[in-house]
Amino acid sequence: MASALSLVRSAQTSHPSGIAAREPAGEDALVDRARRGDVDAFERLYHLHAGRVYALCLRLAGEPVEARELVQDTFVHAWEALPRFRGESSLTTWLHRIAVNGLLERRRGDRRRTARVSLVEDEDDVERAPSAGAFVAPTDVATAIDLERAIAALPPGVRRAFVLHEVEGYTHEEVAGMTGLATGTLRAQLHRARQLLIKALSL
Amino acid sequence: MNEHTNPDERLDELTAALPREIAPPPELWNAIRVELAARSSDARRWDRWRLAAAALLIAASSSLLTLVALRARDRAHAVAVAPASPPAARVASGLPAQLASAEQGYLRSTMALRRTLDERRDSLAPSTVATVERSLRIADSAIAEARAALERDPSNAMLAALFASNYERKIDVLRRATELAPRT
Repeated sequence: MASALSLVRSAQTSHPSGIAAREPAGEDALVDRARRGDVDAFERLYHLHAGRVYALCLRLAGEPVEARELVQDTFVHAWEALPRFRGESSLTTWLHRIAVNGLLERRRGDRRRTARVSLVEDEDDVERAPSAGAFVAPTDVATAIDLERAIAALPPGVRRAFVLHEVEGYTHEEVAGMTGLATGTLRAQLHRARQLLIKALSL
Repeated sequence: MNEHTNPDERLDELTAALPREIAPPPELWNAIRVELAARSSDARRWDRWRLAAAALLIAASSSLLTLVALRARDRAHAVAVAPASPPAARVASGLPAQLASAEQGYLRSTMALRRTLDERRDSLAPSTVATVERSLRIADSAIAEARAALERDPSNAMLAALFASNYERKIDVLRRATELAPRT
C-alpha cells in the first residue's frame, strides 16, 4: 500500500515540473492577456491556481488568517510582476516562489520587531509561532492522527522546509534557492521535521 | 490502522495523502480585485502628475524661449531699456537645469506683473491689497518649500509639478490683481 501511494505521489507531485504538464492548455493566452492588463484573464488564472497557492500558504503559515493575507499579497504581486514572467518555470512554481518570498519578508519584519524587545537563542523561536488555534499538543495530534495539524505545530523554519520538499515536491536545491538556506541546513531541518512529526503522530 | 513498522514510510504515506489544493475563502478574489483597482488608480494618478509636470515645464520653457526671442529682437533694434534682471540669489543653483530655466521665465513674469501692480496699487482698496499681499506670501512660501524639497530630490516629478504650479498660482494672483486695478 505504501509503495502504491508513493508511486501515485511520485507521478503527481514528486517534482513541480509535473505540475506544468497538468496546467490547462490556453493558460499562456490567459497570461498574455493578463500581462496586457486584462483583469478578467487574471481572475481565471487566479481560479486555476488559488487552490494550490492557498494550500501552500496555509501549510507554510500554519494558520488561516496569515495564509489568506499571503495569498492576497502573492496574487497582487503576481499581477504587477506578470510582465516580467518569462515562462522559464511553470506559473505554479513562479507563484509559489512569490508566496515563499512574501512569507520570508514577513518573517524578516517579525524578526526585526522581535529583536528590539527580546533576546532569543533559536532562530525558529524568533519567527512567529503558530497561533493558539493552530497549535495542538502532540498527544492530541497523535490521537487525531492529524498530519495537517502536526505540520502546523512545527517550528516555522522546519515547517517551511518540510512543506516545500516533502509536500510540494521541490528538490533540495530548489528549496534552498527559494529560502536562501544552505542545502546542509535544509537537510538538517528536514530530518528534524520528520523526527518531530513521527513523535507527534506516534508513528 | 498502523500496518507499517517503519515510521518514515508511514509518514511518507500520510504526506502523500494530503490534498494538493485547498479552496481559499470565497471572498478572497474580491479583496484582491479591489487592491488591484486601487493600485491601478494610484498608477494613473501618478501618470497624471507626471503629465502635468511635463506640460508645465513645456509651457515654462516656451515662455522662456519667447522672452529670449523678444530680448534678442530688442537688442537688434537697439532699444535701450534694460529688462529688470531677476534677483540672482533666487535663481536656483541646486535645481535641475531645465527647471532652473523655467524658473527664470516665471521670475520675469512675476516681476513684470509686480511692477504693474505696484504702479496701480493706489487705485485698489486697502483690503484688496492686503488680500493680494497675503496670497502672494502664501504662494512665495509654497514656492520656497517646493524648491527646498526639489533641491533635496531633483528627480521627483511630483515636486517639479508642485513647484511649477505654485509659480503659476502666484502669476495668476498677480494677473487678477492687475486686472482689478484700473490703469491710471
